[in-house]
Amino acid sequence: MNYLARFIASRIPPGAAARYCALLSPLVIVVLLATLSEAATRAVTVGIYENAPKVFTSDSGQPSGIFVDIIEDIAKKEGWRLRYVPGTWAEGLDRLAKGDIDLMPDVAYTAEREKIYSFHKEPVLTVWSQVYAPKGSGIQSILDLNGKRVAALEQTIQLETFRRLAASFELNITLIPVPDYKTEFEMLRAGKADAGLTNRFYGLMYARTYGLEDTPVMFDPAPFFFAASRNASRELPDVIDRRLIELKQDPQSAYYASMKRWTAEEVQLKLPSWVKVIGLALGGLVVLVLFLVIGRQHAAEAALRKEKTFAETIIDSVPGAFYVIDARGRLVRWNRYLAKLNDLHPDELTGMDSLRNIHDQDKESIARSISDAFAVGEAEAEARIRTSEGERTFLFTGRRIDAEGTPLVVGSGIEITSRKRAEQELLRYQGHLEELVERRTITLQETNVKLQREIEERSRAQSELRAALVDLADAKERAEAADRLKSAFLATMSHELRTPLNSIIGFTGILRQGLPGPLNEEQKKQMEMVQNSADHLLALINDVLDISKIEARQLQVASAPFDLRTSILRSVQTVRPLAEKKGLDLSVEVAPEIGVIMSDQRRVEQIALNLLSNAIKYTEAGSVRLTCAVHDGSILTTVEDTGIGIKNEDLRRIFTPFTQVESGLTRRYEGTGLGLSICKRLVELLGGTIRAESDVGKGSRFSFTLPIPERTS
Amino acid sequence: MNRKILYIEDNEQNLYLVRYLLEKSGYEVVEAKDGPAGIAAAVAERPALILLDIQLPGMDGYAVARKLREQPAVVRIPIVAVTSYAMVGDRERALEAGCTWYIEKPINPETFLSQIELHLTAGGTAS
Repeated sequence: MNYLARFIASRIPPGAAARYCALLSPLVIVVLLATLSEAATRAVTVGIYENAPKVFTSDSGQPSGIFVDIIEDIAKKEGWRLRYVPGTWAEGLDRLAKGDIDLMPDVAYTAEREKIYSFHKEPVLTVWSQVYAPKGSGIQSILDLNGKRVAALEQTIQLETFRRLAASFELNITLIPVPDYKTEFEMLRAGKADAGLTNRFYGLMYARTYGLEDTPVMFDPAPFFFAASRNASRELPDVIDRRLIELKQDPQSAYYASMKRWTAEEVQLKLPSWVKVIGLALGGLVVLVLFLVIGRQHAAEAALRKEKTFAETIIDSVPGAFYVIDARGRLVRWNRYLAKLNDLHPDELTGMDSLRNIHDQDKESIARSISDAFAVGEAEAEARIRTSEGERTFLFTGRRIDAEGTPLVVGSGIEITSRKRAEQELLRYQGHLEELVERRTITLQETNVKLQREIEERSRAQSELRAALVDLADAKERAEAADRLKSAFLATMSHELRTPLNSIIGFTGILRQGLPGPLNEEQKKQMEMVQNSADHLLALINDVLDISKIEARQLQVASAPFDLRTSILRSVQTVRPLAEKKGLDLSVEVAPEIGVIMSDQRRVEQIALNLLSNAIKYTEAGSVRLTCAVHDGSILTTVEDTGIGIKNEDLRRIFTPFTQVESGLTRRYEGTGLGLSICKRLVELLGGTIRAESDVGKGSRFSFTLPIPERTS
Repeated sequence: MNRKILYIEDNEQNLYLVRYLLEKSGYEVVEAKDGPAGIAAAVAERPALILLDIQLPGMDGYAVARKLREQPAVVRIPIVAVTSYAMVGDRERALEAGCTWYIEKPINPETFLSQIELHLTAGGTAS
């Protein structure tokens, strides 16, 4: 905005500038506010490609993965609106370069990419590249990939790094570029490639599914970032950095939640099917019980109706009340049963009010039934009768008859006390059963809940255990990988250093030989210095390589017959010029019994040469003497000198790597400090032992043993 | 006597170094910068000896040695591999692939010629 104001001001005559600016300022503020509010809900476009679990599209079509979780979290805090643009990896990078999108996730930093995109500084992830292969591939190191077909994601740093790595080992590997890791793993499963490069995240997640295993070949741990378009403001990477640092400091943050989510296996909860079956069966039982209860009720009512008919027919003999009532409600006729019921002599009943002994609450309904019977011809009612034995319930029925012109109602009363009680009992029981079922259902539900909780807890414990195991295996693999990486690095380094040394040593030799023309004395002296330095460097490289092989337990020694006497004499011959130069007396004594042995000639000579050159190096005057003879059942070789000697406390650590007794700036003697530790390891591999003795100021004695070959011939 | 030596090597400095050493001693040096060119040159030029670098782009030295051993015309020409000491089993692999001998890098200009000449006479006259 300042720029805009200044721009406008510069176009206006100086005198008018102030006035114009005053006029403009409200406008400026409005525009400024608009810009601010736009910034508050900034739209950020993010590329998406398929590289689970780092970034991918879920089954439901949602952008997912670690990078998505993190940018979503940042967007939420910053008030950004995110828009995702799916495509392949190459398309994403292309769009980012053109400025069609603002951010691309999962981009490794390179100086070349830095020219095209902007990067933030705090890595989102650090991921190792690793070689995966079908189970049982037997791939133990990168050398085992020679002559193999290796699939790798196209246009990646991973592929380029691997190409260089393979070239530096002189390996002949056919690289097959693939568009995504899924295709790669499918090819591996189908046997269309022998091995594939992927990142550990993807490998851990999918290798098992495809029947693949991780090989020990790991390389190039690379940090991964969001790359921002050059068109986007510099603010984007800065905000991402700030938020990432915050996220990484809080163990409860979305960052760690995402890591946990995408690097542990998914756990799905399911209610066991037997719980469902029992629920269903119980429901069925309830229906069945209800059905039976209702059915029985209907049957009883039918029986009752039948009995009523029977009672009407056989009046007196029936076990029930029989009566005839006139229009005024008085008893006209009755049977014995009814008299007995009323505790009266039959004669006393004549003209009795039919409602006399009816329970007060039932009087009205009986009266209505009687009048109904007169009116419509038939009626029935239940009523309680007060008797000396207590309250009894009857079902009374009545039917209108015409007796010689006088309307009467003929009826009967059947005692239903027990039935009524049973009915009530049944009802109560039914209620109880329902309650019981309900109670059981609740218990079952509680059990279900408990079970489900238990299942959840168990799977949580299981997934925690699994995560812990994965962590453990991961840590172990990481440690081993670091070791392998170190060895591989040292081997590559030593190999790469050798190439320029070839030129240095070669041309120095040519010049010193005077092949291109004669050298003056000064030039000769200087060329000799170059030669000595180069030779020293070469020795250093060889020693470092030996140590790396020893540490990686890759150093192997041969076992072949050779003449030890010849080897010893040759070693002494090799160092003789050095001894002569210092005016030392170099002598050798090989006992007559020493001859052909089974061992590694090259390594035995290396040990002898090392001890001899050490002795010469640390001896200013006097002699160096080598003896070789059978002693105590093995071949003992001893190198004695009259040099400076070694202090007692130093004797113990001279076989440790990078130890030279006088170390640091006070170092007087050239050397790597590796020679003796290599000698010790070599002697041990060859089945012998090495020891050192010394008197300070008088000299040192180094001796090593070799096993005597068993007599087979 | 055939004093022609074929050197298959992609590194310019190495080429120059070896050519210089050999030419100073009166040998004629034929150069090839990769495997296929080397094989073609061997057939066309019939050198007395082939110096073969192992770390070649594309087709590596082992493959070149195997191919050379399949060609009846050049099968008797000695091949001296110029190997790197760094890798375990390099020399064994060179001999397995059909090389007659090997020289370790970096080469020693003082002994290089004598090593070569040993195989020139041992390899017989291939012309």
